[in-house]
Amino acid sequence: MAKSIHRVSVTLTDVTPLASDIKLFRLADPDGWDLPAFDPGAHIDLHLPSGTTRQYSLCGDAADRSCYEIAVKHEDAGRGGSKEAHGLKPGAELLVSLPRNLLPLVSTQPVVIIAGGIGITPFVPMLAQMSRTNQSYALHYASRHDDAPFAQALKSTHPDNVVIYPNDTEQRLDIALIIAELPENAHLYCCGPNRMIDDVIAQTQHMKDRVHIEYFGGTIDPAQKSYDVHLARSGRTIGVQKGQTMLEALRAADIEVPASCEGGICMDCKTRFTAGEPEHRDIMMPKSERGQFLTPCVSGCLGKEITLDL
Amino acid sequence: MAWTGSIVALHTAPRSFLPMKSMDSLDLIEGVGVKGDRYASENGFYSDRPEEGRQITLFELETLTALKRDYGIELAADDHRRNVTTINVPLNHLVGERIQIGDCLLEATRLSTPCRHIEQITGQEIFEPLLHRSGLHARILRGGTIRVDDTITLARKA
Repeated sequence: MAKSIHRVSVTLTDVTPLASDIKLFRLADPDGWDLPAFDPGAHIDLHLPSGTTRQYSLCGDAADRSCYEIAVKHEDAGRGGSKEAHGLKPGAELLVSLPRNLLPLVSTQPVVIIAGGIGITPFVPMLAQMSRTNQSYALHYASRHDDAPFAQALKSTHPDNVVIYPNDTEQRLDIALIIAELPENAHLYCCGPNRMIDDVIAQTQHMKDRVHIEYFGGTIDPAQKSYDVHLARSGRTIGVQKGQTMLEALRAADIEVPASCEGGICMDCKTRFTAGEPEHRDIMMPKSERGQFLTPCVSGCLGKEITLDL
Repeated sequence: MAWTGSIVALHTAPRSFLPMKSMDSLDLIEGVGVKGDRYASENGFYSDRPEEGRQITLFELETLTALKRDYGIELAADDHRRNVTTINVPLNHLVGERIQIGDCLLEATRLSTPCRHIEQITGQEIFEPLLHRSGLHARILRGGTIRVDDTITLARKA
């Protein structure tokens, strides 16, 4: 369990329903002190009372230092973090990490955003900032919700820059058309369901570093192929399917691996490998350890098999 | 070594990671720390490693100027996370000495060392440029109120 002095202490001040299964949580310093600054696109680790840690994009205005806002979708088939978060009441004392930004906003070039569902969250502060700085931007936002989170507020604040694609209308989000009509030198941002991300990646190979993707949970690489994990000590072999993390595959085989953030940050699940070549996707492990260890929550496999010291 | 310096800025924060707030004055509590500051209430990042000589911290304004000159690093007085920003005070030479600020008396205990924690907070790579010039830790021998522009002098040892 993290020590309070090694995290940012916050109080849950408000819980607001955004949609039938999505709640907005407002977190503030217990004494109203300003919170550490963040840039649009940043996320925090939320440490839940059970010890579980989950990552959420900050969706409030980055210019407002008085609070952090996160939107949490209740995932019935999830790992339990969203269920626990939805049970929190105002007044709860929580710990969060310093904000980290793996989806930084470019500062001058035109920006086009494709968002699906709860994937809208990292882009809400981006729109506010780009509006303030007169940067060219457009948002294409599809949602299966009739009450898509933030949709009305965004449409009313950015009427000329936001197109909403509700599920119950004929207007469909056409990724190919959006990409074909991108302004010259535009940067494309996307966060949403894996199918949407797969489509965007497949159609933007020519754009190289002008494409910025945020995955839910940041754990699954859509390009990851299936592979086998050999367990050196027990002699077992576990198959990891496409779209599945190594950690999920190990759990499915009743193999206990300690894990917390499941986003490649906390290193709780760090495991020694003895053969094979991992694809490291964590953001914390020192280079000096990458030849011996991997993080099953996010690491992939560059070959057809890898051997763990389990 | 004859010198007379002064306070150019005062800062405090109640908990680790929170931004430092500029203050016109700070109340020093003898043998404890700065009233309301994280290290007086054991809410600092390093409070799990208690240190009697870390009741108040000082930092030279000249270091901020040098960081800009030598490395092009813009660090403000609220970024270095020490309580007192001084001018014309040779902090690196004062370990073991006593320092008078108004009615308050400090005893310099050791040089501060830079930490990666400050890089986390500022987002700037400043660990190495701050080596050997990261300020001074002190114990509060006599408390009271210190204010911006107060004169700082060397005090006679008891």
